[in-house]
Amino acid sequence: MFTWTGILSIGGGRAAFFYEALVVRRRWLRTEEFVQDYTLAQLLPGPNVSNLAITLGHRLAGFPGAGWALLAVIVPGLAVLLTLATLYFGHGLAPTAVSLLHGMSAAVVGLLLVTSIRLMRPVLVTARAVVITFGTFAAVGPLRLNTALVLVVSAALSVWLYRPAPRR
Amino acid sequence: MTDVLVMAWTFLWLSLLCVGGGVGVIPEMHRQVVAHHHWVTSREFVDGYTLAQLTPGPNMLIAAFVGYRAHGVPGALVATVAMFLPTSALAMFVADRWQRWRAHRWAEAIEHALAPVGMGLMAAGVYTLAQSALHDALTVALALGTAAALTLRWLPPMLVIIVAGVAGWLLGA
Repeated sequence: MFTWTGILSIGGGRAAFFYEALVVRRRWLRTEEFVQDYTLAQLLPGPNVSNLAITLGHRLAGFPGAGWALLAVIVPGLAVLLTLATLYFGHGLAPTAVSLLHGMSAAVVGLLLVTSIRLMRPVLVTARAVVITFGTFAAVGPLRLNTALVLVVSAALSVWLYRPAPRR
Repeated sequence: MTDVLVMAWTFLWLSLLCVGGGVGVIPEMHRQVVAHHHWVTSREFVDGYTLAQLTPGPNMLIAAFVGYRAHGVPGALVATVAMFLPTSALAMFVADRWQRWRAHRWAEAIEHALAPVGMGLMAAGVYTLAQSALHDALTVALALGTAAALTLRWLPPMLVIIVAGVAGWLLGA
């Protein structure tokens, strides 16, 4: 239980940090256990990072572990972000800060682009995966359809395409 | 008061749409908080996402940023709780049972089936952010430069973002 305070020091909250801290540095988990929890976190609705913290925390220390892990990833970030938000909305930004932020926003788009492509490469290997991905993208992005609706339709379609072969 | 409740409800159902990564919900969140409820402007939304990206912790803390703009600190707390608590409770419930469930062959099918859906949503999220963040040749160049620097692994992501910020400042983005 107390070891969970350890996760506070991670604070961070990207999957790679968790992996580094729990599997590589502290050896509390094996890689395959981590991958299993990561997949589950992706699968469940909700922000991935908090879901991952919960699945890992639950594996290590049951419900109290999951609760701690959740607080540990959210509270530090929330405090920092609120401070930044106060500054941002408080006085209005100096022109310097505005162009700094514009440059960084552009870079974040670049970062997301690269990350998305890396994540997509192992997934987009079959025709059905490409069709589902592209269809979902087009519907939610350029066509601006309601995401909930698109999600229900494309998830149902995709599960049908991936349905397990009937038992003989 | 009613607006706070509307906000809590909005973030709650948005959190349920986060399948396979928070970025996927960005298009719908943008639509709701900018166009529909006017809690933030499109520019503020992108800036908030950038700040959330630079902050430790989940990017979906963007909810707290929007909540703060609309209703101060209480708004930020309400938005955060709505965004994280219900889905977290669900995650705990499922994590507790997953070892038993995942043996089922449909569990594996669902695991594979949701991956491409998540990818499509993520691509749409990048598209939405790009529309607000890339407004001239300079910002497009910075985004492409960042992508190139990261692909070639010149610098860690955080440093590249900071360098791009400084470049934006020097060149007057």
